Amino acid sequence: MTDTLQANGVSSARFWRVALYTTLIVFAVFYLLPLYVMLTTSFKSLAEIRQGNMLALPADWTIEPWLQAWGKACVGLTCEGINSYFWNSIKMVVPAVVITTVLGALNGYVLTKWRFTGHKWVFALMLFGCFIPFQIVLIPMSQVLGKLGIAGDTAGLVLVHTAYGIGFSTLFFRNYYEAFPSELVKAAMIDGAGFFGIFWRILLPSSGPIIVVTVIWLFTNIWNDFLFGASFAAGEGAPMTVALNNLVNSSTGVKEYNVHMAAAIIAALPTLLVYIVAGRYFVRGLMAGSVKG
Amino acid sequence: MSSLEIRGIQKSFSSTQVLKGIDISIDSGDFLVLVGPSGCGKSTLLNMIAGLDSITAGDIVIDGDVVNEVRPSQRDIAMVFQSYALYPNMSVAKNISFGLEMRKVPKDERNQRVASVAQMLQIEPLLDRKPSQLSGGQRQRVAMGRALVRDPKIFLFDEPLSNLDAKLRVDMRTEIKKLHQRVGNTIVYVTHDQVEAMTLATKIAVMKDGELQQLGSPDEVYNNPNNLFVASFMGSPSMNLLESRIIQQDGAPVVPVSLKSGEEIFLPLPQSPAYRKYLNKPVIIGLRPEAITDPGSAEQESSLLYSSSCQIDMIEPTGAELYAIMELNKQEVVSRMRASCGVQSGQTAEVIFNMEYAVLFDPETELRIS
Ligand SMILES: Nc1ncnc2c1ncn2[C@@H]1O[C@H](COP(=O)(O)OP(=O)(O)OP(=O)(O)O)[C@@H](O)[C@H]1O
Ligand SMILES: [Mg+2]
Repeated sequence: MTDTLQANGVSSARFWRVALYTTLIVFAVFYLLPLYVMLTTSFKSLAEIRQGNMLALPADWTIEPWLQAWGKACVGLTCEGINSYFWNSIKMVVPAVVITTVLGALNGYVLTKWRFTGHKWVFALMLFGCFIPFQIVLIPMSQVLGKLGIAGDTAGLVLVHTAYGIGFSTLFFRNYYEAFPSELVKAAMIDGAGFFGIFWRILLPSSGPIIVVTVIWLFTNIWNDFLFGASFAAGEGAPMTVALNNLVNSSTGVKEYNVHMAAAIIAALPTLLVYIVAGRYFVRGLMAGSVKG
Repeated sequence: MSSLEIRGIQKSFSSTQVLKGIDISIDSGDFLVLVGPSGCGKSTLLNMIAGLDSITAGDIVIDGDVVNEVRPSQRDIAMVFQSYALYPNMSVAKNISFGLEMRKVPKDERNQRVASVAQMLQIEPLLDRKPSQLSGGQRQRVAMGRALVRDPKIFLFDEPLSNLDAKLRVDMRTEIKKLHQRVGNTIVYVTHDQVEAMTLATKIAVMKDGELQQLGSPDEVYNNPNNLFVASFMGSPSMNLLESRIIQQDGAPVVPVSLKSGEEIFLPLPQSPAYRKYLNKPVIIGLRPEAITDPGSAEQESSLLYSSSCQIDMIEPTGAELYAIMELNKQEVVSRMRASCGVQSGQTAEVIFNMEYAVLFDPETELRIS
């Protein structure tokens, strides 16, 4: 009796496991399929694409579409590829991420270790800032940028993204530093370290995981942003995402799917890279602070 | 050298008052131990001496100067935290020299001072390690080293031994005592282990609920407690406290106490004018376990020995001595006897009460009657 029950138990467990893995694999394939299509398409010639066999591997591998996308494809009126826009994005994302991370770390430090009356309110307002929809600020922001004389400029985008990212980076660092022992800060005070000395010598060296989390988060969001890029930096100064859109939507001539795919992959590459390099810290950092030990 | 005065210190966190006016004054070279139950404000007081917490009212005076507004780093103090608070990202050597580096001591001198402190604390082989690679006792020593290397006016210790196992605790206690005798700096030391307090202190401050209960030498605090709280807090096993009253017998004050058998005995009291006011009034009588002994270990020169045979309910041998538990006034009473005195649980034995060490308290005010 118990034997059959147990056997039933084992086989039903096996059944569920098989079912579970099958489901997971189906979903994984489903999600990976577009990437697969993009990759294969980007290595095919236009002629081969027209034959219509979307899922087939390229018969003749060619990197011509990639070279075109990078250096020759027409974006809007100029036909110099997407490389200048790629650099635009880099010039926007690197300063924005660095500034936002540093400010977030400083905010987190002050909000946990140098508390002042009303610190809760400041933090609450910062959190609130995280949830303001982008669309609401478009018009006021464009006025501000105009007044500052950096509308349509990469510097303008850096400012916008810093303002938006600072809520999140503050949140991340504040929660991380909340769990950081205050006694270490007190010990450093007695040892004679000042405000920045403590930050630089004691807190920052222990902040690796949360820095990685913040950088990944900010990098992905800022790099992928389209709305601000399209609104505040048209033409020459546009970031990668906007350029990609312009490239794909060019209405003249034939649709060069292979070039579009290559350009899209190039556009996605940096975030992918950041995630692969630093991804394992991401999960670790997200867990830090929520679970002790 | 460096004296410390705490004048009417008060501390409130928003609406709750944590320290309610503490006055303590110690001389240079004193070893002040703050004791008291958890949450009574010991760490808070220490933080205020260090300048890590703001002062609600009162003054902290070091060497005659009010230092209320002086920054922690300018007060010339060093602190050892309960959690040790070693910088996790720095090696042991860096941890010890960080304070010197911040004070712009030249590198050569830093290395030299780290080396000599490491030698004193026997942590030379550990200098290159990170704190996470150290045992509890080693971390404790590094934390001490970080304080010692600075050679400050005043050392502040916040329960530095509470994380250690029993054996290591006793060893480190001795180390700290030796250290104090060698360097002779003023030390303020927080603990709630009263054995630590008794062995280390030149002065003990007993605190409760943010109020100072008594300040005195270990001997004073132990033998002449100000009130019931101090009496029961200091000493282990703690003082036996019996409710009774003072009556006059043959012209001398005595306190009646009932044995388990129902028989009433009359324990003699020392002559004191104060007792006359409490004649026929309820009192609480405090007897330390060592004041109730077997005849062999009684202090024969004492003038107030009272002998009676009592039933022993239970014995607890500790090796060196044994605690015999009996019942007086329907209350458990612990007595301290020689291990070899031969008492057995369940039997009656002759017990000597040394009433010279008895202390009396007013049950209403809980203050000492003297
Ligand atoms: N930042 C704070 N805000 C509010 N209350 C506090 C704060 N710090 C301490 N307290 C309160 O002050 C009281 C005294 O705390 P303190 O840490 O000084 O106790 P302690 O005597 O050191 O206790 P322990 O022996 O457990 O270390 C406690 O009741 C505590 O809850
Ligand atoms: Mg404490």
